[in-house]
Amino acid sequence: MAETTTAPDPQAAPAPDERSPVRSILVIWAVMTVALELFAIFVPARLMGVAASKTMADIKESVTVFTVVAAPVVSVVWAIALHSLLRWRHRGSGPPPQDGPPLRGNLPVQITWVTVSSVLCLFLFIWGLVAMQTTSAQAAGNALVVDVTGQQWLWTFSYPGEGGVTSDVLYLPVNRPVLFDVTSDDVVHSFWVVQMGVKVDANPGEITTVSVTPDRVGSYVVRCAELCGLYHAYMVSQVQVVSNTAFQSWLHANAGSRS
Amino acid sequence: MADTMTAEPAAAPAHGGIMRRLNILTGVAAGLVLGAVAWAIAYATLRHSDFGSDRVICITMVGWLLGFMIGIGAFAGPVRWLLGQDLTEEEHQFLAGKDQGVSRYFRYTTDHKVVGIQYLVLSMVLFFVGGALAMLIRTDLITPGSHLFGLQTYNSVVGLHGIIMIAATIIMVSGPFGNFILPIMIGARDMAFPRVNALSFWLIVPAVPVLLSATFLGGIPTGWSAYAPLADQAPPGMDAFLLTIIGFSVSVALSGMNITTTALTMRARGLTLVRLPIFVWGTVASVALGLVAFPMFMSSQILEGLDRTMGMSFYVAANGGSVWLYQNLFWLMGHPEVYVILLPAFAAVLELTPVFCRKPLYSYTGAIIGMAGIVGLSLFVWAHHMYVSGFAPDLNGPFMLTTEMISVPTGLLILVLVGTVWRGRVWTRLPMMAVYAMIWNFIIGGVTGIYLSDVPVDEAMHGSLFVVAHFHYTLMGGALTGAIAALSYWFPKMTGRMLDERWASVGFWTAQVGFQVTFLAMFAAGLGGMPRRAGDYAPEFATANLVATIGAYVIMVGMLIYLGALITSWVSGEPAPANPWGGKTLEWQVPTPVPLENFPVLPVVTRDFYGYGENGSGPQKAEPEHEDEPPRRAEPQPVGGPAVQAVAEEVAP
Amino acid sequence: MRMWVGVAGAVVGGAVVATLLGTSLSLAASSPAQLRASVHGVAQTPAGALPHAFMTISSYPDSLAGEHGANGGAHPDWVSYGPDTNLEVPAHALVTMTIDQYDTGGTIDNAYFAGVHGTLGGTETVNGKTVTGISAGNVAHTFTVHMFPADQPEVFISVPLPAVSDSAPNLANGYPKPNVVTFSFITAGPGRYVWNCEYPCGTQYAGFGGPMSTQGYMDGTLTVG
Repeated sequence: MAETTTAPDPQAAPAPDERSPVRSILVIWAVMTVALELFAIFVPARLMGVAASKTMADIKESVTVFTVVAAPVVSVVWAIALHSLLRWRHRGSGPPPQDGPPLRGNLPVQITWVTVSSVLCLFLFIWGLVAMQTTSAQAAGNALVVDVTGQQWLWTFSYPGEGGVTSDVLYLPVNRPVLFDVTSDDVVHSFWVVQMGVKVDANPGEITTVSVTPDRVGSYVVRCAELCGLYHAYMVSQVQVVSNTAFQSWLHANAGSRS
Repeated sequence: MADTMTAEPAAAPAHGGIMRRLNILTGVAAGLVLGAVAWAIAYATLRHSDFGSDRVICITMVGWLLGFMIGIGAFAGPVRWLLGQDLTEEEHQFLAGKDQGVSRYFRYTTDHKVVGIQYLVLSMVLFFVGGALAMLIRTDLITPGSHLFGLQTYNSVVGLHGIIMIAATIIMVSGPFGNFILPIMIGARDMAFPRVNALSFWLIVPAVPVLLSATFLGGIPTGWSAYAPLADQAPPGMDAFLLTIIGFSVSVALSGMNITTTALTMRARGLTLVRLPIFVWGTVASVALGLVAFPMFMSSQILEGLDRTMGMSFYVAANGGSVWLYQNLFWLMGHPEVYVILLPAFAAVLELTPVFCRKPLYSYTGAIIGMAGIVGLSLFVWAHHMYVSGFAPDLNGPFMLTTEMISVPTGLLILVLVGTVWRGRVWTRLPMMAVYAMIWNFIIGGVTGIYLSDVPVDEAMHGSLFVVAHFHYTLMGGALTGAIAALSYWFPKMTGRMLDERWASVGFWTAQVGFQVTFLAMFAAGLGGMPRRAGDYAPEFATANLVATIGAYVIMVGMLIYLGALITSWVSGEPAPANPWGGKTLEWQVPTPVPLENFPVLPVVTRDFYGYGENGSGPQKAEPEHEDEPPRRAEPQPVGGPAVQAVAEEVAP
Repeated sequence: MRMWVGVAGAVVGGAVVATLLGTSLSLAASSPAQLRASVHGVAQTPAGALPHAFMTISSYPDSLAGEHGANGGAHPDWVSYGPDTNLEVPAHALVTMTIDQYDTGGTIDNAYFAGVHGTLGGTETVNGKTVTGISAGNVAHTFTVHMFPADQPEVFISVPLPAVSDSAPNLANGYPKPNVVTFSFITAGPGRYVWNCEYPCGTQYAGFGGPMSTQGYMDGTLTVG
């Protein structure tokens, strides 16, 4: 696509395109970034479904923010790559008749690149630390303690502070912090309350803990997230988040069902 | 080459005779015999003992492996040395495959070029089997409900697919190209330890039927990560798995030692470390990392073997063991291992991009620093696979930091790649186009890794299909695509033929399109909450799974087209000139096919191999593809600025 | 021309290999034979008048009497359910299931499964006596039907099966006198479920290996519809 004012000499190779590539790359970059930002804002969070806790809402926000921040960065790389195919391409299946310019690095460019990526890395790290602090601050004093026992291939839940009621459905009162004490009777499972965004492995001989505050009434699901043998795919339990009164009447109705 | 028959008296014909008759068939025969003997003894004595069936199976398989190695001739050299009758020069030449034609590929041949081709074919076989298993997985998951087979078989197929692909991606670049190309690239005649080179290849061959026999032994219920204590509960197929891993780990360690020693000690005169092609740096970094990491995997499996055959309790909490012991040992290997997979492919891409952009590598030092940073940091990030395991939650923060830090050296490598393309004369042949596909895929894979490195996000995404899509984007979209670029680049040198680019490109791009469809759909399913390694799923994931399966069929067609193009070109493609791409590295300065001794005269290097556009070089001397003249004698010639000068005297081989 | 042949050969060859592999694995997987409940008459239930379906299965101390043939198949010494482990019951029905339990047992890890859950009235009858649970120290097996990851009516049924004494003599058929357990449950709409035993009667670690991890022994499916 060299712009010459005379008819090109059919014997000579086409003159390489020496115009500054910056503007063209900028245009491609802008288009890509806009498309990716639209994707970032509308798609990932929607795919993650409903959030039944602030933890999950924060996770959805993190995924969106990471995608928003990543979009211009990946677009830089892809824009340069695309531009190279459009403008710097040698046409023809034979080898290029001339070498390119002997650029062996540009220290300011390299330093800028490494600095920017380090700053992004720092941003991600601080974001992550803040999110981790928010999660761990949730284990409040009046937390409802639920003992979760995973075994091949189902979950049972018992409420030691509520008379030892045991159930195969996880009932939780809305807006009250819950502390899960998780263990396994056999192999390693992973206790994943999908819509609340919490997960912790269930290990034999150990008790691992995770806490969350459900903030939305509804039916959700617990899945096992660590391959635990034959029926791993079927190791699913229902979660019912209900009002406090409904929770109390459920406890009362199940008082006989002890572990 | 000069006749090197020695004046020694002929070696004892019996030994020389046996050694010359050994090949893969004698290996199989000896393996079957020793395996049967081992089985008979073990069955008679141990079958009623505790853990009897596991013990019998382990002993039988060890008998097979040992027998095969004896039958293929792995012990010929050591035995002769012990007998005081070291191999003669003529026997060394025989072992190197001199004058043997095709049969040298079916023997314990020491020539690095033969071993490279053997690794190439082995990788292709492993990808074929692993790919067939992948098609079974996706077919079973096409709609909710178990279709092809029940969950037990599904779990086993997933596990076998995983370990076969892991093994294949580990060897896919350093095996074929680290062996065939690297010694030529550094101006050597062979590897530092040619017999160990053959050993590291032949250790894998008998391990493949051992692994596949797991299918008939109840399968493996654990996935390739073989978590204990589920592995303690597994049928005897688990014993087949862990023995395979032990053998494979030894092979990886041996080739790591060999490649590292070769690159450090056998470089041609003048080939200082700062002139070393980046491919060599990347391959050495990868295999050195593997040398450190794989013994952990081996240990984890040995301890598992002791749990299973001797009733020990390394991983049984009730008897004082710990599940975390297994997880730490496994992931201490598991994380460096992905860089063992990635680095050679990335290094090959960095090696070919200057050739196809006619520009020097942008920041050679930056590339080395990037690789060193990746290698160093990769040893300190393993517990990001264990964020939710409950092991040391206080360490989640520090591991999040080290994991996110890896993005900095990785980004530096991307800068080097993109900088090399900048203002280049981009020659859009298949190797270079594959590089573009790799850039696209690797960026997506890397960015999604950032999500997983964030502890709260990982709490949602760990153990879901999001992770599966992430590592397929990095390992398959990134590393495997880079390996295909490397294969397309070095194919003419290794096979003597030009790859039919029209068909290979059709296959390659078809597979790439299918790849995007399949794994973007998997990201969606993972974000929605579908666990991984699940043979059945809730209806809410039906659309994503259907789309992923359709994409998988497209991948299959594309990959098979590429395979067909590859094999047909190998058998009957255009004969290739010695330097079709105009490359400057040493492998392109020797004729095709490469003579047994590589160089008649070892080269002396005077500058690095990225001198494009420098020293007032004129047009490149890439050879046209339809050259009728016979291949030139290997006189090193200046190509675009002299990097190498011939030396008058013969340098001792 | 050569390229067409080569490429077509690779595509067809690869597809054939994958198909052969899939077919052989599929055929080798456990049998799809179903045991269907038989419907006799109508029962009055809290959910109204529903057709009444009956099914009888057994839990054995070996595999000689189930779906594995008279010589017990590959693992004759594995405990098993029989005559079949793929069970089918009608939707919107009252299902009465009888399990003849022939095996010995011991103490169950999770005492929740020594109780009866999800049946009509929350009870089962053991040898004619109605109970809401059995002693956690005397469990042989459980029959536990649980959640399937599908959008379908939730089903969770778990009945414990009391053990036969270790010293009970064998009768003419080679087994001791069984404990007969009967329970009923109401099925809702169609669905696919799985069931397995929750007592560690298998081999290896945690007693959940061997028959406990293999379909056709202590694991099966329940299809409603």
